[in-house]
Amino acid sequence: MSVNIVVKDMGLDYAIRGGGRKGGKLTALDGVSLEVKQGEFLSVVGPSGCGKSTLLYILAGLIRKSRGTVLINGREITGPALDRGIVMQGYALFPWRTVQRNVEFGLEVKGTPKAARRRKALEYLESVGLSDFAQRYPYELSGGMKQRVAIVRALAYDPDILLMDEPFAAVDEQTREMLHEELLRIWEATHKTIIFVTHSIDEAVFLSDRVAVMSAGPGAIKRIIDVNLRRPRAGGAVKASVDFSVLRNRVWRLLQNMPDSEREGAAPADSDISDVISDSATL
Amino acid sequence: MKSRKTPPLARAAQKSAVIAAILAAWWFLPQHFRNMFLPPLNEIAFSFVEMAKTGEMWKHIGYSLSRALAGFLIAEALSIPLGILLGWFDKAERYLDPLFQVMRNTSVLAIMPLFVMFMGVGETSKIAIIVWGTFFPTLIVTIQGVKNVDPLLIQSAQSMGISRFGLFWKVVLPGALPYILAGFRQSAGVALIILVGAEMLGANYGLGFMILHYQQGFLVAKMFAGILTLAVLGVLVNALIVKLEARLTRWQEKIAK
Ligand SMILES: Nc1ncnc2c1ncn2[C@@H]1O[C@H](COP(=O)(O)OP(=O)(O)OP(=O)(O)O)[C@@H](O)[C@H]1O
Ligand SMILES: [Mg+2]
Repeated sequence: MSVNIVVKDMGLDYAIRGGGRKGGKLTALDGVSLEVKQGEFLSVVGPSGCGKSTLLYILAGLIRKSRGTVLINGREITGPALDRGIVMQGYALFPWRTVQRNVEFGLEVKGTPKAARRRKALEYLESVGLSDFAQRYPYELSGGMKQRVAIVRALAYDPDILLMDEPFAAVDEQTREMLHEELLRIWEATHKTIIFVTHSIDEAVFLSDRVAVMSAGPGAIKRIIDVNLRRPRAGGAVKASVDFSVLRNRVWRLLQNMPDSEREGAAPADSDISDVISDSATL
Repeated sequence: MKSRKTPPLARAAQKSAVIAAILAAWWFLPQHFRNMFLPPLNEIAFSFVEMAKTGEMWKHIGYSLSRALAGFLIAEALSIPLGILLGWFDKAERYLDPLFQVMRNTSVLAIMPLFVMFMGVGETSKIAIIVWGTFFPTLIVTIQGVKNVDPLLIQSAQSMGISRFGLFWKVVLPGALPYILAGFRQSAGVALIILVGAEMLGANYGLGFMILHYQQGFLVAKMFAGILTLAVLGVLVNALIVKLEARLTRWQEKIAK
């Protein structure tokens, strides 16, 4: 598979007030390097404020990197475009548009005819169980519903790359699991590249091909962990497997600033970890 | 937040209770404690009916409303587009804002004589002064509205590759609409206030003129008929615009009214 996104030694400074007469700067990201393959599902975890959202914003073209390289399909990002979709941390639904018209937004920008737009929006709303809410306004929805609308709004105009910023943070465990399956189904059907920011280690491991663990101050990628769990991943079995908990533990240790269990040889005594990971037997 | 539903009849009763009590007091009390400056309400009502019959009242209302409407509409037609532009191209606004603040906070009544000096006491100066007085409130609120559109929404639209024009049309305008409408409503109220001042300064028709005229002639009941008519007009205009606002911003959560 070809390489789709290349980030190399990338850094970002925010201009901030204070810190000298001209205002100072805050280095949110520094020395970030990352390659994401076409069709890959990559999760990003890291402490709050380490620059996860910032990274997504840069990839979305909403803010400009301060240094380094960011290439998408070999080309520098010049701004936002319909080949990338972002689901923002706040839902950012347009309050003056009904749910359906929110989902239609990207298609409108794309110039899709009205009837096709409508059909597509309703199709997507159906897929997340919100067809009954098509004519409601965002304020009439629960937080989880808003999040689902935000997700299908980004899906509806069919971007190649989907950037998701903690999209399932506000939904209950059951809905989340349902949405996980739904997202994986869509991903497998459409071969989109997904970069998925989350605070949930379980979520990251369960969904992804790889998990990027970030560190703060300034934000950088600490380690990228391969998740060699077999797909399709049926929820219960995968999560109960040893492989899953080993990976989970690895990510957790990295987030706790403990040495990587694989590298430092701190794996569970009874198994060679690389075997476990590649074998991915479910118990 | 949803308000506890009160039946409509009870709501109407709640809303009108205090005013009804005051009107009742006004109707009965002055009949027992006579004061030449405060005639009982029935006498005022009688004066109103009389003036309505002769057509005098309608003529004054007609003049006043058409002046207020003309001035108000001209002002809104200028200030809303200009406010949108200045909010959007906010560099210019940084230079102009102090000027607008001065204009807006200078009492219109204070500069009214200026208008009379330059334009005389005819219709032009009356309408011009209403334009002046209602222009700045809407302008400033409209600029604020455009500038305050949630940046997250702008980014969200931009992430979908929207053009600058599309952003303006599909995000900035609807986002600023509640502000614009609030400015619109505020200015409508201001228009009626200034109108009366302008008519008192020199006119032969109009409610402001009428009120002053009967005050000077000690026809107090007729004066009150004019004052109360203005009050009713003010409330009606406000209610009308509130209706319009509700219709245009149905998408906003209704905080218990
Ligand atoms: N617009 C901004 N201006 C200045 N500083 C900013 C801005 N946005 C973010 N920052 C700073 O950049 C750093 C990274 O922020 P970012 O939102 O990317 O973190 P995050 O990893 O997404 O955090 P969280 O998990 O809490 O969402 C933080 O220190 C934050 O204070
Ligand atoms: Mg974030």
